[in-house]
Amino acid sequence: MDVLNQLILLAGVLFLVSILASTLSPRVGMPLLLVFLIIGMLAGQDGIGGIEFDDVESAYFLAALALAVILFDGGLRTDIHNFRVGLRPALSLATVGVVATSALCGAFAAWVLGIGWLEGLLIGAIVGSTDAAAVFSVLNMQGLALKTRVGATLEIESGLNDPMAIFLTILLVELMVSQESGFSWMMLTQFFWQMGAGAAIGIFGGRLLALGVGRLALSPGLYPLLALFGGISIFGAAAVLQASGFLAVYLAGLVVGNRVSKGLYNIQRFHDGIAWLAQISLFLMLGLLVSPVSLIGYASAALLVALFLIFVARPLAVWLCLLPFQFSWQEKLFIGWVGLRGAVPIVLAMFPWLAGFENWPFFFNIAFVMVLVSLVLQGWTVSPLARRLNLDVPTTSSRVQRVELGVPGQDHYEFVGYKLAHDSPALKLTSATLPLPGRASLLCVMRGGQPATLEAGDTFAEGDHVYLLATPLELDSLDKIFVGVAEPERLSAQAFFGEFVITPRAKLADLALLYSFEVPSDKASWSIARYIYSQYRYPVVGDRVKLGQVEFVVLEMRDNRLLKVSLKLHK
Amino acid sequence: MLIKDIITPGRTLCGIEGVSKKRALELLANTISADVPAIDADDLFRRLVARERLGSTGIGHGIAIPHCRVENAEGTLGALITLKDPIDFDAIDGESVDILFAMLVPERAQDEHLQTLAALAAALNDSAFRDALRSADSHDALFQVATGNH
Repeated sequence: MDVLNQLILLAGVLFLVSILASTLSPRVGMPLLLVFLIIGMLAGQDGIGGIEFDDVESAYFLAALALAVILFDGGLRTDIHNFRVGLRPALSLATVGVVATSALCGAFAAWVLGIGWLEGLLIGAIVGSTDAAAVFSVLNMQGLALKTRVGATLEIESGLNDPMAIFLTILLVELMVSQESGFSWMMLTQFFWQMGAGAAIGIFGGRLLALGVGRLALSPGLYPLLALFGGISIFGAAAVLQASGFLAVYLAGLVVGNRVSKGLYNIQRFHDGIAWLAQISLFLMLGLLVSPVSLIGYASAALLVALFLIFVARPLAVWLCLLPFQFSWQEKLFIGWVGLRGAVPIVLAMFPWLAGFENWPFFFNIAFVMVLVSLVLQGWTVSPLARRLNLDVPTTSSRVQRVELGVPGQDHYEFVGYKLAHDSPALKLTSATLPLPGRASLLCVMRGGQPATLEAGDTFAEGDHVYLLATPLELDSLDKIFVGVAEPERLSAQAFFGEFVITPRAKLADLALLYSFEVPSDKASWSIARYIYSQYRYPVVGDRVKLGQVEFVVLEMRDNRLLKVSLKLHK
Repeated sequence: MLIKDIITPGRTLCGIEGVSKKRALELLANTISADVPAIDADDLFRRLVARERLGSTGIGHGIAIPHCRVENAEGTLGALITLKDPIDFDAIDGESVDILFAMLVPERAQDEHLQTLAALAAALNDSAFRDALRSADSHDALFQVATGNH
């Protein structure tokens, strides 16, 4: 009994320390997952905590569960329109890319470490996939606003490439166990079953789950749990049928996130927390599992392979996979760099142990060091690199502090609240001259903790809390009125997007006349939108086309529809 | 580009009251036509409106640069008006506009005018310059501030 109580205390303290440590992470720019991993290692057998934990089987069980939850949450948060934009490049990276990275990295490992081909390739496969948790958290936490195409490609890639790396790892482990070498048709059937059935179960299960969430009358607190355990069941069902559970659960999350409207906000909020829990437990546990002292012996070998992976194998594979798609060299370089490795390689490194290999610590420790190198080197440098490469699309939303509340029973409206700062544009306005967009309406103003009645001519004051009812689409305009745009952000926005707004319906011929560029006669009657669509299959904010001396930049999109284009003059 | 090369005291109006977007464009057209008789006010107004139909010329910070091509003009022509009450202009940053700087280029001008336009936008992006324009209290003072002779 005492032991159990101590265990509860220990678990509580470990999580508390991890949660508190997360406040440090943004300040030093250190990837959060690395923090959790290090706390786990410190608490573990060689650290100050001295906790002995080397039950690989239960570690594998917990890790698979945590990964399923993280992938489900990743799917829930992926917008279907972004999914369309990023799907094809991400698929290419998640299939061909994983094979190419694994093969290159494996061949190098076999050569440089002087081990057999199969062993080398197994190392390549183990570290073949990028980590969903690491990529999601690095992209979301550091306030980066990437072009949708780049961000979506990276996120979807990390959601989709685990099944491929798992397949390759299992395949190589089986080959090593059976001592067979060479290709068999069985492998191919296995591959198509894993991916095909995994995808089918995920999509079908997701639809069923979305239907359940929409139709069942439950106590409100149970909907998020219904979604969570629905997702876990889908993972389990696919895995039991020998299909890819990870693929199924990611797609299920995507379907649920985009089909459910009732209470989706609550579901996402809940899963945000649960995904944190899963990430913290996963990395704490992996940190506990490893014995840092034994890592030292493998450090130099693993460092070599990791550097090859980071600087050669991944960039080369990315370049190859993205050839058919529209990415600038900066974007390709960046995608190559965000090949963050995380929990999946460490989990895959347990497979040799599960298969009864005697030399399993070799694979486990090599993979672990490689993940550490990747998290430190890449995780730490992602946002400076994005800024250096000018991939950060200027946004205004990063600074905006607003309170959003769902309106009970109304899916399409939200209550929003702003606290007016000293530089709010609204201070120059009165409640009568407020240029409120569309259906937004002013509900009340709190001044000095009291509701204030504003007469038509009264101006707003600094420190006022203003509450409105609005649709989600109007929030951007409200931000502009109540928060405004800071000067440096405005300048960078103007440098990026240009000076003027152009309606997507503007005819090329009219624009050509004003801005002196040539238009082929067959395109004279085209609108600028049609021209942009002819250049980009799925345009995203920030995409640009150059005509003569001017550039047209996609300024605003909604659901793959061009809303606004901007015109940039060259100096 | 120098602003003094494109505006004249006759094409600089300060603190105009009670106008709409349409009325402001009309005022710009009339002002230019009064100063340069070769240019027809109605025709110019139609062209400015046609340009606005392609998208707003509001560049943010309360500034708009309506522009178009005109017949019978020799070189680039400008006109500057400031408004007492800002008007809704659909500008790129959503802010209402109180400084309008019209810029007209001859039908035949090639690329140079794009540089002039860019330079004008850059000049008006300077917050000190904008504040100076806004604080001018007469047509003449506005002209002096705009052309840098204050």
